[in-house]
Amino acid sequence: MSSLQTASETKIRPVPRHPSAEPRWLRWLLIGGALSFLALFLFVPLVAVFVNAFHKGWEAYWQAFLTPSTQSAICLTLLTAVIAVPLNLVFGVMAAWAIAKFDFRGKNLLLTLIDLPFSVSPVIAGLMFVLLFGRQGWFGAWLDEQEIKIIFAVPGIVLASVFVTFPFVARELIPLMQSQGRDEEEAATVLGASGWKTFWRVTLPNIKWGLVYGVILCNARAMGEFGAVSVVSGHISGLTNTMPLQIEILYNEYNFVAAFAVASLLAMLALVTLGIKTLVESQHASALRHKHPVQRPTS
Amino acid sequence: MSIEIRNISKTFESFQALQGVSLEVKSGELMALLGPSGSGKTTLLRIIAGLEFPDPGSGEVVFHGEDVTGQGAQQRQVGFVFQHYALFRHLTVFENIAFGLRVRPRNRRPTEAKIIEKVTELLRLIQLEGLAGRYPSQLSGGQRQRVALARSLAVEPRVLLLDEPFGALDAKVRKELRRWLRRLHDEIHVTSLFVTHDQDEALEVADRVVVMNHGRIEQVGTPKEVYDQPANPFVYDFLGNVNLFRGRLNSGRVQIGSANFQAPDHPETLDAPALAFVRPHDIKLSRQASSEASMSATIVQLSALGPYVRVELRQEDGELLEVQLTQEEERQFLPRPGETVFVELRNLRVFASDYSI
Repeated sequence: MSSLQTASETKIRPVPRHPSAEPRWLRWLLIGGALSFLALFLFVPLVAVFVNAFHKGWEAYWQAFLTPSTQSAICLTLLTAVIAVPLNLVFGVMAAWAIAKFDFRGKNLLLTLIDLPFSVSPVIAGLMFVLLFGRQGWFGAWLDEQEIKIIFAVPGIVLASVFVTFPFVARELIPLMQSQGRDEEEAATVLGASGWKTFWRVTLPNIKWGLVYGVILCNARAMGEFGAVSVVSGHISGLTNTMPLQIEILYNEYNFVAAFAVASLLAMLALVTLGIKTLVESQHASALRHKHPVQRPTS
Repeated sequence: MSIEIRNISKTFESFQALQGVSLEVKSGELMALLGPSGSGKTTLLRIIAGLEFPDPGSGEVVFHGEDVTGQGAQQRQVGFVFQHYALFRHLTVFENIAFGLRVRPRNRRPTEAKIIEKVTELLRLIQLEGLAGRYPSQLSGGQRQRVALARSLAVEPRVLLLDEPFGALDAKVRKELRRWLRRLHDEIHVTSLFVTHDQDEALEVADRVVVMNHGRIEQVGTPKEVYDQPANPFVYDFLGNVNLFRGRLNSGRVQIGSANFQAPDHPETLDAPALAFVRPHDIKLSRQASSEASMSATIVQLSALGPYVRVELRQEDGELLEVQLTQEEERQFLPRPGETVFVELRNLRVFASDYSI
């Protein structure tokens, strides 16, 4: 009797909405708002870059990359990334390891310092290096004597790029390592693994994807950095121009096609790294699924 | 392999986790470290494992006559099972168990065939032969804990240490697994020490129980000893439900309200405040005052708890009293709420009340 009653009651009652579900119009408003914002501020500018780059045809686009100064800018950008990324990879892992796995005095200070390049304007970062290593700077006279050139030369550009990009890997890893805790490392140690083996066999595999992501972000920034590099570079064409600086110069020379062509290359680098990241993530996930079909735990 | 702990202290900043603890775990014994949270039991376990170090100069950890105080966890060859398993999430069950063998220096590392043999044997022992290729995330809590145990046994540890091994499991799996651990220990006989805050677990599984509180050991004994002859009010209170009475002790007798009991453990004490404890199942209800050891109380509430019925009574002084009856006893006596009855206390344990709980 009572079960009959409840059955009829449920029939009359309106279908309950999920408690967190928003009304339809609000959902459309939110989704539409987010999408149009993306289109306006990301998609349209990106398309504009490519349209401008190609608007005099393939030939003109291709020509832009054949000038020696642009080629040297591309090389310098790659060189900067090749030095800055591995350095920050090592530094980032070390800093994250220290912060996540150990308690020590000054830990919060270190955390704050890691964020410094994010909070300081890149131009100031560049000026900092000029004040240190420039001709009138603290070490300027000494460097002059040794005939070492840092400012307005390649070492300055690398230094500025390393400074600006150093938080990326560490920032990506610290929350990850903190959430993973120390249990697995302790387990490995008790099982007789040395610190070195524990790092390679336990810690590194656990942070692999965070590390890949951090490196991708770090690389993108190292290649795209403008402000800090601009201050220390001196804009010597063919010698100390990176791609972003070269774009500015070309643009100021009213060489729009070439400027946008180099810009499109940078944009493509960014798109490709994002693509690689997505691919790597999805392949990892599907590899896990295929090898080991998930079964519901029984007990 | 015996474990001996001599006068170990441990301080974390301003908090003293262990205060001069000494303990001996006999070879082949399964011992439980029982205590409330913050009593220092996990700290003691981690010091034995080499994951924490005692305060400088405070004492020694000795394995079978060898002082290991200065050794780190890597050298001590202990098996350690973590409360939250700490399985390597990127490795399969097989590789988790094989880990301790694979990380050995080359000259002591077994051959691949030996490793496979050993892991297969352990998988059989933990009854998970079919799951060697699974990842930890694909296992249930009970299965994970068994893998963690197999992983720690793979290195043939000198001693096995388990930190709240069943703490994260639900009640039913917990019971199954602790019985399984007992049977396993009877098979392999490795000296084992496990931490728990669950008195049932300690009393059911262990050969001997160490009761800890505030960084000190309160009592060490067999489950029967600590339950039947608790050394002090804390142990009595911690091991199961109790009723507490305050009274006065005088030459071998204790006066509680209008009732008077024998206290044969304290023949010499003259007129001192006393605490007396009675377990809920050691109280008999009756409708007549049978002796001077019975007192009157009013039934407040009855509640059925599976095979038992819990009767809550209010004494004359307003204090509540808990009595546990079997269903059989309840049917015979038929207690009714509001009724005033007599309670007769049996197996009363009296402590002179310089102790506090």
